[in-house]
Amino acid sequence: MRPSSLIRLLALLALGAAAVALAACGGGSSTAADVPSTAEAGAGAGAPDKVEGTPVQGGTIVYGTDREPTCLDPHNLGDMPQTYVARQFLDSLVSMQPDGTVVPWLADSWEVSKDGLQYTFKLKKGVKFTDGEPFNAEAVKANFEQTLDPETQSSTNLVYLTPIYKSTDVLDEYTVRINLKRPYSPFLEVLGQAFFGMESPKAMARGLQKNCLSPVGTGPFIMKKWTKGQSIELVRNPDYNSPPADALNQGPAYLDGITWRFLPDSSVRYSALTSGEADIIFNIPPEHFEAAKNDPSIEVQEFVHAGLGHYIILDNSEPPFNDLKVRQAFTLAVNTPAAVESAYLGAYPSQTSAITSGTPFYTDKYDDTFPYDLAKAEQLLDEAGWTEKNSDGIRTKDGETLTIKWPYSSEPGDVPPAELTLYQNIQAAVKEAGIDLKLVPMPQAAYYEAFNDPSEYDANASYWNSPTAMVMYITYASENYDIPFANASKVKNPELDKTLLAAAAADPDDRATQAKLYEKAQKIIVENAYALPMYPEQTVLGINTDLKGVWIEPSEGEPVLSDAWLEG
Amino acid sequence: MSETPSITHGGVLERPPRRRLPWQTALKRLLGAIAVMWAAATIAFFLQEISPGDPALSVLGGSGARPSQQQIDAVNEQYGFNRPVLDRYAEFVGDLAQGDLGVSYQYKQPVTDVITEQVGPTMVLMTVSILFAWIIAVASTLISAGHGRLRSSVGSGLETFFAGLPQYWLGLVLLVVFAFELGWFPVTGGTSLDALILPALTLALPLAGFIGQVTRDEFERGLRQPFALSARARGVSEKEVRWRHVLRHALLPGITLSGWAVGATISGAVIVEVIFARPGLGRILVDAVSAQDLPVVVGITLLLAAVYVVVNLLVDLLYVIVDPRMRSSMAVA
Repeated sequence: MRPSSLIRLLALLALGAAAVALAACGGGSSTAADVPSTAEAGAGAGAPDKVEGTPVQGGTIVYGTDREPTCLDPHNLGDMPQTYVARQFLDSLVSMQPDGTVVPWLADSWEVSKDGLQYTFKLKKGVKFTDGEPFNAEAVKANFEQTLDPETQSSTNLVYLTPIYKSTDVLDEYTVRINLKRPYSPFLEVLGQAFFGMESPKAMARGLQKNCLSPVGTGPFIMKKWTKGQSIELVRNPDYNSPPADALNQGPAYLDGITWRFLPDSSVRYSALTSGEADIIFNIPPEHFEAAKNDPSIEVQEFVHAGLGHYIILDNSEPPFNDLKVRQAFTLAVNTPAAVESAYLGAYPSQTSAITSGTPFYTDKYDDTFPYDLAKAEQLLDEAGWTEKNSDGIRTKDGETLTIKWPYSSEPGDVPPAELTLYQNIQAAVKEAGIDLKLVPMPQAAYYEAFNDPSEYDANASYWNSPTAMVMYITYASENYDIPFANASKVKNPELDKTLLAAAAADPDDRATQAKLYEKAQKIIVENAYALPMYPEQTVLGINTDLKGVWIEPSEGEPVLSDAWLEG
Repeated sequence: MSETPSITHGGVLERPPRRRLPWQTALKRLLGAIAVMWAAATIAFFLQEISPGDPALSVLGGSGARPSQQQIDAVNEQYGFNRPVLDRYAEFVGDLAQGDLGVSYQYKQPVTDVITEQVGPTMVLMTVSILFAWIIAVASTLISAGHGRLRSSVGSGLETFFAGLPQYWLGLVLLVVFAFELGWFPVTGGTSLDALILPALTLALPLAGFIGQVTRDEFERGLRQPFALSARARGVSEKEVRWRHVLRHALLPGITLSGWAVGATISGAVIVEVIFARPGLGRILVDAVSAQDLPVVVGITLLLAAVYVVVNLLVDLLYVIVDPRMRSSMAVA
């Protein structure tokens, strides 16, 4: 199973000048098809065109998942488990498609100003929050303001809003304009995440203490009761009238309710599915993956998240990784596919690209830039001056040994056994090239501190889920060099900065220009070996075949259950 | 039968009668309890204080948030993390004295709410486990002790085996066999009654091993004591000797052990609650420790300290009930 996931993210700060832009209403039919050499994004995600069978009304299901959020208001913090459950009771302004375009949701249509700085949304009329409050322009404004309020402690705003958000203008009851400081072409897909789900202003005004327990949205289900350590009870919203344009069911949910059950032990979770105690589970454990696929009573849905995936940050600011040849040699020596395969029993694909194959504008062109090649790795290390070897077979240069310090959190929730096996596989592989990789377990809190101090690490595992390729900007831009948890690879590359800023300034509808720029960014990152990609974040849903119509939305991999029904 | 009588458990003969008034004893007990709680709170506070890590980061999402410096500053301001440690300690003790345990860093809820919500399932689990442990231990003793060397050895061997079982392993085995394979119990029952059996057994079996061992030793010793002999001489049936006279005598060390068992079940609950997906304090405590959620850690620590105080009191009372010899001394002690 995946490490207990953390946060996804991305921030973005676009600079510079103008961009054209304008309405992208109503359409998932954009220009993605014309984009050259860009693989289809959001693998495994998106609404199906059609589901066999006739939907049946009624029934309650049990959804078994691993991690429990600490707060159910997804504006607080920004942890993945929050979005999965929030999707069930909150609606967002727009709904993202696998190719990165968006379709209407709470917003019927929108226009983007030519300079890319003003997004004007026409809102759906007649929508009510489940506490009776009306959904309107004032409510949208209140949501942005609450998210930006420091007391909300949102990490989403830091990555997606603070760098670009200027203000919100209420133009009339159902028209709202968001003003940006800088153009930011992925703004719409970012808003599709449940992190930007719209909540009742009245409920938000109660403060976090109440809103964490019982957030109120306009969604297909209503958050009813949260028994910590056990489950969240969700009941059907009988008045639901605001499904996204891509939903198959344009009315209230078919199901009467969902029990959102926390089953942290992965074998318990899988047994709950096979015994029928759960109708659907999040993340089938790798050891049961094959069995599940061969079980005719289980449907397996796989989804590759957009973002950077799981990767190893290499500290570019200090020896030994401030030397391009050492970074390249390290990458060549690792044999990522074999390391991932052996650690995760073939359940996860490996990744050798800067962004995951599930990310809009991903290209597979640079996947084979550094295939496993020990001889070449040795040669590069020789060229870099690491020519001597000590008695342990570790390379040395001017009396220094080639040692990589790699701290990790000793919390098994953060680094589960399979993940640690992966680290050890990498450790064993690079030893062949004479690199001494030291894995340093640390208590969680100490680890987070070390994360912000490059002198504490040479290598460091991390991951980012984000709906947009612009995530590369937050983790590699010079502008974010000193921001905690952002540019942890300590990269300063003006050409990369320029390329990504140009993509941010592009017309959101001009997919071809963005594709070209994002491709160039991926090339720069891979060729400079700024980081070592490992594997994409993946969601694997196991679904009893009696439960029909479940799909995974592509911005954060949230399961969509408003289209689902229980058969017979 | 070489032991001298009445050494094993004190009793009136060894204890000079004390002439203190009961309310003095009660007051002393109360002060002792407060001191224990205060010490527990203080130790928890300073342990968290010296452990590495930034509390602002735990507020901003422990399990992996990536907050901005501005947010970290705002939280430090809001929670007063930048103030001198003694200031914060003084405020902490002041709040505690008023029953205010503060607000959880993780859940943003008052700690008392978090604990109130979670305390029930853990207490039920703890009580039922200790009850199971006692039933198993007493049954094992009655069935096998004093019935010849072979039966006794088998009983004693089983107890040693159970006492050595790691709870994590035992929990998984019980789960796999009785829930996954045989389907006798739900896999994900949560707090339902049928879902209580396996977690309670997970905690009870090792405990029964420990309690059984001491009870058996005491039981076999009791069988050879003069009071057993004199009962037999009075014509009391062997069954009655075993059940009424010797068993009562043999319970005392097990009762002492039960005080310790409360602690053992709480640490075991941490594992059991995760495996069996039960809500409860153990799970919350582990999460709180790893997320450095100081208010919750302190709150649960205090509650456990209070439970210990109460349990030790109960153990003393049980002694009196089980061993009539102590009544006169306790009445004035």
